[in-house]
Amino acid sequence: MNDLPNRARSISSLRDFLELLEDSGQAITWSDPVMPEPGVRNIAVAASRDANGAPAIVFDNITGYPGKRLAVGVHGSWDNIALLLGRPKGTTIRELFFEIAGRWGDQEAQISFVPEAQAPVHECRIEQDINLYDVLPVYRINEYDGGFYIGKASVASRDPLDPDNFGKQNVGIYRLQIQGPDSFTLMTIPSHDMGRQIMAAEREGVLLKIAVMLGNHPGLAVFAATPIGYEESEYSYASAMMGAPIRLTKSGNGIDILADSEIVIEAELQLGERELEGPFGEFPGSYSGVRKAPIFKVTAVSHRRDPIFENIYIGRGWTEHDTLIGLHTSAPIYAQLRQSFPEVTAVNALYQHGLTGIISVKNRMAGFAKTVALRALSTPHGVMYLKNLIMVDADVDPFDLNQVMWALSTRTRADDIIVLPNMPAVPIDPSAVVPGKGHRLIIDATSYLPPDPVGEAHLVTPPTGDEIDALSKRIREMQLGALS
Amino acid sequence: MTTTICGRCKSSGAVTDHQGRQDGAVVWTILRCPTCNFSWRDSEPARAIDPAVRSADFAVDAGDLQRYPKILQQ
Ligand SMILES: [Zn+2]
Repeated sequence: MNDLPNRARSISSLRDFLELLEDSGQAITWSDPVMPEPGVRNIAVAASRDANGAPAIVFDNITGYPGKRLAVGVHGSWDNIALLLGRPKGTTIRELFFEIAGRWGDQEAQISFVPEAQAPVHECRIEQDINLYDVLPVYRINEYDGGFYIGKASVASRDPLDPDNFGKQNVGIYRLQIQGPDSFTLMTIPSHDMGRQIMAAEREGVLLKIAVMLGNHPGLAVFAATPIGYEESEYSYASAMMGAPIRLTKSGNGIDILADSEIVIEAELQLGERELEGPFGEFPGSYSGVRKAPIFKVTAVSHRRDPIFENIYIGRGWTEHDTLIGLHTSAPIYAQLRQSFPEVTAVNALYQHGLTGIISVKNRMAGFAKTVALRALSTPHGVMYLKNLIMVDADVDPFDLNQVMWALSTRTRADDIIVLPNMPAVPIDPSAVVPGKGHRLIIDATSYLPPDPVGEAHLVTPPTGDEIDALSKRIREMQLGALS
Repeated sequence: MTTTICGRCKSSGAVTDHQGRQDGAVVWTILRCPTCNFSWRDSEPARAIDPAVRSADFAVDAGDLQRYPKILQQ
C-alpha cells in the first residue's frame, strides 16, 4: 500500500480507522460469546503481550449485551500507531518517534463545523430515563477496581470563567467511574486543566458543563493526552499533528465536540459534592487508593446508530496505555530540550508515562549530560513524571535497550549519579515517600571528556549502515525460507 | 442468587442499577453499595465480589469513611 499517508490523513472517525486496521490485518472481531468478567480482561491482556503487533479487538457477542459492540486495543501496538501515522507495519519505534517530532509547526489546523442535525454523533439522542449501563457494555477492567470504569474518555469542557473562548476549551483524557445509572466521578489533580476548571467553578459557584466523547478520531487520544499550552486548542493541535481536517459540532449542552464520535455523554458538575472513587488499576501497574472525587450528573447522551464503545486495558505494562501515549510523551520533551540544547538527539520516555526516561545527547563538555538532565526535570512533563533519567551519548540509540545497557555497563561510574531527594512526584507512583513526593535519580552513562583523566575508550567500530541492514534482512529471509 | 451484601464493606442494602438480558432472560445484575459506592455484577468471579473470599487488602471500612481523602480542596 503506497497510499498509506493519504489513507491516514483521510481518517475522520474510529470507524474509518478500524477499517484501515482491518485491511492491514490489525483488527479482529471477537464473535464467540464472552462474559464481561473476566473474559474481556483476559482477551485484552493476552493481546497486549505483543506490543509490536497486537490487533485491535472488536467484541460483538458479550453475554448480556446483545447487539452491543466494544473495541479495545485500538492504539494497542506500534503497528497500529504506525498505520495511524501513515507508515507501514514494522516501522521502528525510533522512526515513529522522529515522524511525530518532525511534525511540529509543519501544518495548519483544519477545523470545520458541521450543523448538529447533520452530525453522525447525534443520530440517536437520549434525554430521559438515562441509564449509562443501557448504552455502554462496561466491564471491570482490573479485578479490584471499585466499579465499572470508562478508561478512554476524551472530556471536553469550556473554561467556566471564560466560556466563549475557543482556545480555552479543554480536551483531556480522564478516568470516569460510573456511579449509578446517570452519574459518574471524574479523577483529576489540581494541575490538570479539568482540575483547575472544577476548582474555579466551585470557588465562583458557576455551572461547569462537560461533554464526554467516546470512540473518537484516533488522533485525538494520541495528541490530546499530554499537556500542551493551556491556551492552545487540543482540536487544532491534533488536526495540525495529523495533517488532516477535524470535524466539530456542538453537543446539546453547547460544547464543541467531534462530529464523528461514537458516543457523547453530556453532564454537569455537582458543585462541592464528592463521592468515593477507586481503586483503579493505573499505569504504574498498581492500584490507586480510594478517594472522594467530584461527581457529575448526566443530562443527555447522543450516539451514532449501533455505536462502538471504545475502552482500554490499563494496568501492569505493557498495555495499550504505553503505546497510546509513549511517543507523544517523548516528543514534547525532545522539542523542549532542543530549544535550550540542540545537542539532544533523541528522548525515549516510553516507560510508565516517563517515570523512566532515556535521553541521548552530544556531550559539549565534561558533565554536560547532567546539566541537560536537570533541564529535562523542568519541562512541563518532567516536573511531575521524569523520575529516573538515564543519559547516554549520541552514538547510543535510546530506543534500543541493548545499547543502553552497553552504555550503563561501560560508561557509568557508581558516583556518576545524582539523587534529588523530596521532589514532586505523581501521586500514583507506588515508590513515592508519600503520595505526591519522592526522589529523582539521574544516571550519567555518557563517555568521559577532558578534564576527566580517563577520556573515551578506544572503541571497536563494527560495520553499520544500509549494507549491514540489508544483510541482516537477507539472513532473516534465508532463515524463514529454510522453514518453508 | 443475588446477594445485596457488599463484597467490599459488608454493608447491606445494595441497589440494582441494571440487568443484562439474553433472549429475554436475565443473565446478570449490576448492584451498587450506597455506603462505599462499590459496584459489581453478580456473575463476576467470587474472589472479586464475595465478602467471604475477597482480599482484605481492598476492603473499605464502612465505619470510617472519613479516612478517605477528598480531592481538589480549595
Ligand atoms: Zn460497600
